[in-house]
This record gives sequence, structure tokens and C-alpha cells, in this order.
Amino acid sequence: MTGLILDDEDGGLALLRESVASFAARHDGPSTFRNRRSSGADMDRATWTAMAEAGWLGLLLPEDLGGLGLGLPEQAVLSEALGRALVSEPVAQLAVFAGTLLTEASESAERTRLAEGLVSAAAIVAPAWQGRNGAAAPVEARAEGEGYVLSGTLEFVPAAGSATDFLVLARAGQEDMLLSVPADAAGLSHSLHPTLDGAQLGTLVLDATPVAAGKVLAGGNAVSAALEKAIAVTRLALAAEMAGIATRAIEQTVAYTRDRVQFGRAIAAFQVVQHRLVDMWSDAEFANASVVNAVETCTEEGGRAGDLAILAAKARAGDAAVTITRRAIHLHGAMGFTDDCDIGLYMKRAVALNATLGQPEELRLQFVARERAAA
Amino acid sequence: MPEQQDWNALTDEDFRAIFRDWVEQNCPADLRFMRKQRPVFDEVAVWYHRLADKGWLSPVWPQEYGGMGLDAAKHIVYVEEWARLGCPRIPDHGIGLTGPLLIRYGTQAQKDFFLPRILTGEHVWCQGYSEPNAGSDLASLKTSAVREGDDFIVNGQKIWTTLAHCANWILLLTRTSNDGPKRQNGITVLLVDMTDPGVTVRPIPNLRQETDFCEVFFDNVRVPAANVVGEVDQGWALAKAVLGHERIFLGAPSRPEYAIKRLERLAEDRGAFDDPGFVARYARLRLDLYDLGSAFERFARVLRAGGDLGPDVSVLKIFCSELYQRITEEMLTVAGEEARLWDDLQTAEGEVDAMNLYLDSRAPAIFGGSNEVQRGVLAKGVLGLPS
Repeated sequence: MTGLILDDEDGGLALLRESVASFAARHDGPSTFRNRRSSGADMDRATWTAMAEAGWLGLLLPEDLGGLGLGLPEQAVLSEALGRALVSEPVAQLAVFAGTLLTEASESAERTRLAEGLVSAAAIVAPAWQGRNGAAAPVEARAEGEGYVLSGTLEFVPAAGSATDFLVLARAGQEDMLLSVPADAAGLSHSLHPTLDGAQLGTLVLDATPVAAGKVLAGGNAVSAALEKAIAVTRLALAAEMAGIATRAIEQTVAYTRDRVQFGRAIAAFQVVQHRLVDMWSDAEFANASVVNAVETCTEEGGRAGDLAILAAKARAGDAAVTITRRAIHLHGAMGFTDDCDIGLYMKRAVALNATLGQPEELRLQFVARERAAA
Repeated sequence: MPEQQDWNALTDEDFRAIFRDWVEQNCPADLRFMRKQRPVFDEVAVWYHRLADKGWLSPVWPQEYGGMGLDAAKHIVYVEEWARLGCPRIPDHGIGLTGPLLIRYGTQAQKDFFLPRILTGEHVWCQGYSEPNAGSDLASLKTSAVREGDDFIVNGQKIWTTLAHCANWILLLTRTSNDGPKRQNGITVLLVDMTDPGVTVRPIPNLRQETDFCEVFFDNVRVPAANVVGEVDQGWALAKAVLGHERIFLGAPSRPEYAIKRLERLAEDRGAFDDPGFVARYARLRLDLYDLGSAFERFARVLRAGGDLGPDVSVLKIFCSELYQRITEEMLTVAGEEARLWDDLQTAEGEVDAMNLYLDSRAPAIFGGSNEVQRGVLAKGVLGLPS
């Protein structure tokens, strides 16, 4: 018993898993990771386009926005499978996070254009909303004529170099706004910073960037509600992806330690190694169980119970993926310290995803604060 | 015989409500949430007999033998509610061990004689497995049973025999042969009357200064051959087979759940929630418990679907027992200087048996196959690692 075990009456989830596996055979995760890293790109466009063709970028988007209108079980299975195969494109940040913001935005021509672009990969729609500490940090919006002028700096913008459009969080006086800003807007610039997982994160600078009124996607309380939703759903996708990484890392390490002979025996025959492998496997099992719990609690109950379940899953899967891959490197010996060995890439990806949208300690504290506030 | 119905036809929720209502009304208040983990028979006899009269003493025995005939799913509900309501553990080796073994492998005469006497409480059973040199390595047991006419003559010693001092029958694993290629061969299950001459019980005070377990000595004890369960020399497989879905309960979250409630009570009272260091440590424990629930559910679901548990269920036992220890360790940290005291700690919301739980939490990582043995089981049985 391993992996995400979800109800799958019509076999749709199994089919999805298979299609990711065959996709990964054609678009090898680790080599794409290395190529992207050496080219300094923030994403691999060939992989991205192929994922769009498979329909995965619009998996959660409602059908009237051109998506597949599927649910969290499907997204979790997709993310888990991508994690296993180390397909390390920014699906969570772009498809899930930006997609959820668009789903939650009010109807407009701009929303439709962005959603259609996201689904087909014709547009790269990058959310830009965080400050240096990771919290929401709206830029300043000043009303001017029919539209607004934006000024400020945003951090941790995924695919900032490839983006055709940004979803920018801004504030005019006391009111939050979510605006669509084209990458070629006046006064907009970005700088890129290489990431641990072989991509680039951008710093986006808006210097009196004019935005037309028709580009406002949401305003008022709807903005923070949309952000909260996007954060929650993306955390769940990240948790599933990390559970996949964790599960695959333990499989690779079991295989390696069975092959590697020292002192005349496979090192997996030594009890000290066996117990370490068992502890790693156990951590992966708990990560899988927590993700399944989050998917089901969100689907069946939602509300506060769902929020708590997601916090728990992201914390558990993050700890599992990071510590399992770290221990896996150790059990690969000197080979594990080489760049040639894939296990190191799994570790780097795990660390990067774990640091995205809240590390385990922070999430656990949030869980306890919410639970105790309700008690 | 008390009235039974097809409990398995109810939804889990309905069964839970029925079971809980009756237990709340019938389990004596002074027996709930007992400090003692393993009370002796007389201390909980009232509860035992009430359950028996209601027909709810043996949850998984088939109804034809006086049980409730619960399937695994309903049994989980039964055990969960039992723990939630703080019912005391009763001496249950007859119910959970001897009964199921006889129902599956016993002769008609054995069933007819023993099963009703378990239900009345006339026979109180204990489990004679471990020996001084056969603990984790149970198959190396040496207590001998030698055939003499219609009897077996038993000599040897058992140890860590829980509640032997209040039992009058013991389910004994004996060595009847050393000939087989494996030590697992040549083991025979005997039903032994502890009031017979030659049986001596010596309680062993434990870490909590209570007597849960004992040594049991056998000095030329004469046991009728009719008391062999199954085939002579084939007892090992029987002893293992009887542990079916019950293995999930070694990982049931009830002990750490109880402990964390006590930790919270203590921490509230001592102002520990104002200490960010404590809150961070507490958060880890709380989330470990929450996720243990998710992992338990993963296995419970297999049972509900009518499946069998694999060796992977050991993961629950390891995690659960180690979590229980970490929670009680944190209690002592919060207790500060008071952790020197033996007595329960006083708080505005009632007592907290911190030291009692701290000491108690040493045991589950050892019994039922130590956690290192469990890791060995997972290494071989799940990960398929070589020897």
C-alpha cells in the first residue's frame, strides 16, 4: 500500500496517473530540470505546451473558462505523479494558483482571455502578490482617469521572464485589487534569481505603470477571499507533489541500497540501513495519508476542517519530502553528492516546494492557532 | 442468551450511537478513565458482567457462540467508543485470544466447555507466550510439554504474563519437539488450568510500581492431551493466525489522544501556551496525532472494504507508541520542578497523571513486538530488503 489511495470508482484517477507516467517517459523530468537550469530559463516551454495539450493546465478551471472542471482528487493525483517523475514546471504556481485566482475573479472579457491563454499555454499568467517575507504585499494603486497607476515591488514571481501577463495584487487606499498587467506595460521591469530547483524567480518592479479600468479582475473583500482560496488549493497541490517526491525517493533509495554491495553484502541487508529505510518509508506513508485526508476533508466537509487538513498535509508532506530526500542522499553515499545522481535533484525540488507558501513549522503554528481559537 | 441483532447491517453511525448510549448508561462512573491501565478482574467485575449480560462482551465472536459477530469496521467503532468513553480495560485474553483461537481451531468439546465460561467470567485467561530467553525471539521458547499417556507434563517458565495473578487459565505455548528444520516447528498450544498443582505465579512490580505482569512457573504440571489446540507441534501458525485485523489496534490513537488532553490541561494551567517554544513543540505533537488519525483511517478503510491487513500496518504501532512517549516527555518538561513528584499534578481543571503516563508510555514501544522487531517486519515484508 503506497501512494495516494483515493476513491476511484470510474478509474479516472488511474487513467490520469498512467497518462502522466507515459508523458514523463517522453519528457524526462531530471534531464529537463538540468537543461532548464543550464540555459537559465524559468520554465521549459516544450514541456509546458505538451502539458497544455494534455489538458492539465486547466484541470481545475471550470468548463466555461475552457478548463476541465475537475476537482481536488484529480489535481492531487496529477501533482503527485508530476512529483514522482520530477516534472518540475511551475504547475502549482501558474496552473493552480493563477487558475484559482481567475476562477474566483468576477466575470470580464479580460478574465476570459487570461483563462483561455492559461489553458492553451498561449499566455503565461504569473501571479505577483508577495513581499520579501512571503506575505501578501500589495503595490500602490493610484486612480488616474478611467484606470490606475501602479507602483511598487513584488517578489517570488514565478516564470517572471516568460510571463505574458501578471496578476498583480494592488491596493488603492483601503481597497485591495487584483489587476491584469501585460508584461510589456510601461514602467514594468523584472530581475531574475536562479532557484534551487533549476528555474528562476522574479522580482517585479512597477514604476508608475498605467493599467486600464477593464483590467481590474477583482476588488474589495473578494480579493483576499480569492487569495486565501488560491493559497489553500495550491498548498494542497504542493503537498501532493511533495508526497510524490517522497514516495519516489524512497523507492530509488531502496533500489540503490539493494544493488550497492559493500563488505560482501548488499548494504540494504544491514539492519542499521534497513531501519533507516523503514523510517523513511513510514514518513512517506504518513505524507500520503495526510494528503488523502486533506483531499477528502475538503471535498466532503470543507470549511475550517478542510483548512486544517490542508495545513497538516502541506506540513507533513513538506517535512517528509525534505527529510526523506536528505536521508536518501546519505544512503547513496558519495554518489548521492554528485550532480549526476537524480536523488539530489529530488532533494532540491523538495526544499523549494517546501519553502513555497509556508514551511512546516509556520503551518503547524497556524493549525494550532486556528484550532485553539475555535475551542 | 441475550438478544442479538445483525449489527453489521447498521451504518457505522447508527451502531456508534447505540453502543455509546448504552455504555454511557452502564459503565460505572468510578471505573471510567481509571488511572490503572490493567485493573485486575475483581476491580472491574461489575462492568465485565454487565457487558456479558447484554451480550456485548465479545465483539467479534460469532453470535452462535454468544458474541456480537461484528465485522472489522464495527469492531473499530466498538474499540473507538470504548476508549473515548474511558471504559476500563477488562482482563480480555479469553475474549480476544483464547476464544477466537478455539472458535477457529478448537474441538467441539473445547468450544462447548470453555467459551461459555469465558462469557460468565468463571474462567479468566492469560497469555503464556514470552519466556526469559524468548521475548522478541519468541520462537526460541523452551517451556517443555512431554507426552505421558493421556497427558502432557509441562515444565518451564513464562514471564511478562499480563494479569496472570488474577487468571485461572493460561493459554500456553510449549515446546513439544526440537526436531524440525525451523524452531517455529515443534510448538504446541495447550490450555492449562492454573489451579493445578505445580503452577506458581509470582507478580513482578513494574515501572509504575503496579503489578500488571507476572512470572509463571510450571513444575511437572499435568495437562490432559484433550487440552491441545489444533495439532501437536503445529501451534506457531495458530498463534500467529489469530492475530488478524486486531493488529490495527496496536496503532489506535487512543493513548496519545488521552495523553495530549492531559498535556493541554497542564499547559493551560501552567501558562505554557504563552511560551512560543512550548507552542512549537506542542504543535508538532498535535499534528503528529492528527496525522496518525489520517494514517489509521488508511488501514481502517482496507478493513471496511473487507480486505486483510498486510505487514505494513506495523507502521501505526511504531508511530503511535513513539508519539505517546514524546507527549508524556513534554508533560514532564511543562511540569518543571514538579516533575520530581510522584503524585498526580493539580490543575484548575482537575488532576493530571503526568508521571503515571510518562512511565506507562515506556511499555507500548516494547510489547506486542518491540518497535525494532516491527521495523524488521516492515523491512522484509514491505520493502522486501534482503537478509
